[in-house]
Amino acid sequence: MKTTDKLLEDLAPRKFNKLGVLWTTLLILISVAGIIAYIDQVYRGQIVTNMNDYALWGIYISNFVFFVATSFVGTITVSVLRLTNNNWRTPIVRIAEIISLAAIIMAGVTIMIDMGRPDRLMNLFIHARLQSPITWDVIIIPTYIVISFLLLYFPLLPDFALLKTHFKDKNPRLSKWYGKLSLNWTGSDAQKSIQLKSIHIIAIFIIPAGFILQTIDAWLFSTLFRVGWDSTNMGAYFISGASVAGVSALVTVIYVIRRAYKLEEYITDFHFDKLGKFLVLTCIIYLYFNINEYLIPEFTSKKEEITHLNHLFTGQYAHLFWFVIIGGLVIPIFALMFKKGRKPLPMFFIGLLVVLGSWWKRFLIVTPTLLNPFLPMQGVPESWHHYFPSLHEWLITGATLAMALLIITLLVRFLPVIPIQRTADEEDLLKTNKTEES
Amino acid sequence: MKNSMVFRLGFLVLTYLFLVNAELNTVWAQGVKKNKLRISADYVKIMDGDNYVNIKASARIEKKNVRVANIELSISNIVGEEVMELGRTTTDMDGVTKYVIHSLETIRPDSTGVFTILISFEGNDLYKKTSKDISFKDALIHANIVTKDSVNYMNARLLDADTGTPIQNESLIVQVERLFKPFIIGEDFNYTDENGSIHVPIEDNIPGVDGNLTFEVVLNDNDDYGTVKTIVEAPIGVPVVYESTFDKRTMWSPRSKTPLFLLIFPNLITFGMWGFIVYFIFNLFKIARS
Repeated sequence: MKTTDKLLEDLAPRKFNKLGVLWTTLLILISVAGIIAYIDQVYRGQIVTNMNDYALWGIYISNFVFFVATSFVGTITVSVLRLTNNNWRTPIVRIAEIISLAAIIMAGVTIMIDMGRPDRLMNLFIHARLQSPITWDVIIIPTYIVISFLLLYFPLLPDFALLKTHFKDKNPRLSKWYGKLSLNWTGSDAQKSIQLKSIHIIAIFIIPAGFILQTIDAWLFSTLFRVGWDSTNMGAYFISGASVAGVSALVTVIYVIRRAYKLEEYITDFHFDKLGKFLVLTCIIYLYFNINEYLIPEFTSKKEEITHLNHLFTGQYAHLFWFVIIGGLVIPIFALMFKKGRKPLPMFFIGLLVVLGSWWKRFLIVTPTLLNPFLPMQGVPESWHHYFPSLHEWLITGATLAMALLIITLLVRFLPVIPIQRTADEEDLLKTNKTEES
Repeated sequence: MKNSMVFRLGFLVLTYLFLVNAELNTVWAQGVKKNKLRISADYVKIMDGDNYVNIKASARIEKKNVRVANIELSISNIVGEEVMELGRTTTDMDGVTKYVIHSLETIRPDSTGVFTILISFEGNDLYKKTSKDISFKDALIHANIVTKDSVNYMNARLLDADTGTPIQNESLIVQVERLFKPFIIGEDFNYTDENGSIHVPIEDNIPGVDGNLTFEVVLNDNDDYGTVKTIVEAPIGVPVVYESTFDKRTMWSPRSKTPLFLLIFPNLITFGMWGFIVYFIFNLFKIARS
């Protein structure tokens, strides 16, 4: 049995080692490079991108969709596992909450980048029409940011109080901050009652919010009558895809944190095994939706659909498409079916592969459809039928990904990545049960 | 001395090259083969409207027929040996132009009542000089709609304007103006009788804006009279009911006309969610105070 002191010793935020500092510096450098590229884009306009009259959405939008999908991890793990009484979730939920918050914040930032001038954000409010899914997106993203923040913050209150005491002598300034953030938490029954009730309601509440977020994201595409998007399958397809992206991101981040903070005692092979089963389930569901999405258009063979599918199956995007399907779904499913595949290190590589597949999957959802317009025009330059991001787009997109990782890194630096109080409570409960048994 | 010789020789070579090139240019310019311009023209008369000549200029270049733009043409009236210029016109980018003769009283026919119009092109650097003449007599079409036994008929009469005699055995087309192409009613060929008349039943249920239909009776591209057309308007169609959604609340309306279900449900969800968020923030305050 671990005492609270031992738990605090193991789980309280720590200064980064050299590798951590190097990692943070690298992320800052990538972010700065992206910010410079973005300033240049604002100054010179979107001419610096390779977007054109056909590919009017490029990697900014596919990256936005990826962030929105990844933010679903808060819903799929924290809430679903909580409401289904899966107690093994304790060491992983906070990391999921952190990823969720970082991803949805960066989704909001990315959509502003795609608008060109940032002041155009105001137009979304000034000229908002409730008939447009874009307006729904403008409403749901800030809502989901606040809910994700609350889902992270409420369970942190007892931990902040513990950290306030823990750092009182070691780092009084940090202790003061934790004290303020703990909102005078004493652990009284009244406080506990309000906190538990709030967490329970948020856990229920974030499920419809997450589903609405993913569905609106899907409807941004499916309401446009475009080949490859015009599908009633799209909402469910996006939700299942978001589950894959979210859980794979969680697996990858958990492995890194576990290794960096030496948390093998808390995040065990058992947790990876459970997460592996969870990931394989989400991958199978997503593969099923993919089959629906591609098989029926291929079967009905409408001319426009076939043109689009040929681009994916054998055309200019074939290598990416098959990488996403085979590398991002089929191989992970087979690997995760075996117990050895659900060990931490294989899980890390599989998670990384699935994350990579998830990112390119969003690119494949957005771009090939745009390159095959519903009403083809004559005399269109050949270059309009192709799209590959410019250096500016890569730098800016790289920076958004780096910023998301930076948010995660900073939160991991200053927050306990495993809930201390809850772990202590579970240890006490375990102890009490054992005493009663003997 | 040697330098002086080189300079002189160089100067002579340059002068020779300049002159030879200049001469070659002249020869080349003169050697350009001019194309033959083709002019086609037809006469159109609209009763109670303008008379005009439709003119097209084309040429066969590299085994293809192409329309020729910016060709200035002279339009003249020929009576016997006398040629009277009426005016000038220029083809547009499609090689087409329309020369309007506001009244046939401004031009003169020959002794048999035949008008002759000469369209001539004076030639330019690319095309040879050419001309085309067309001859036509003046004809009249009088048309009206009568109703007999609840059936509407188009009655039309074709007359020679010069002599006032009916023109027999000529086919008239009866059609209704539509947006893209006229809608022909009756038979394909409605030949005029000994009185120069035709009677064509008009079918019911032809839609028109406010029920108004515009009929045309046309003598089409006749060898003697050209094209003659008369227009008759009659409120005998089925009124087109235009179902405008302008004042309705639709998915494509401005936000002031958002469908009610879209105002109610998303707002309910949004305010419901933010209501919960306010409740959670209030709970944070309660925790801080307790």
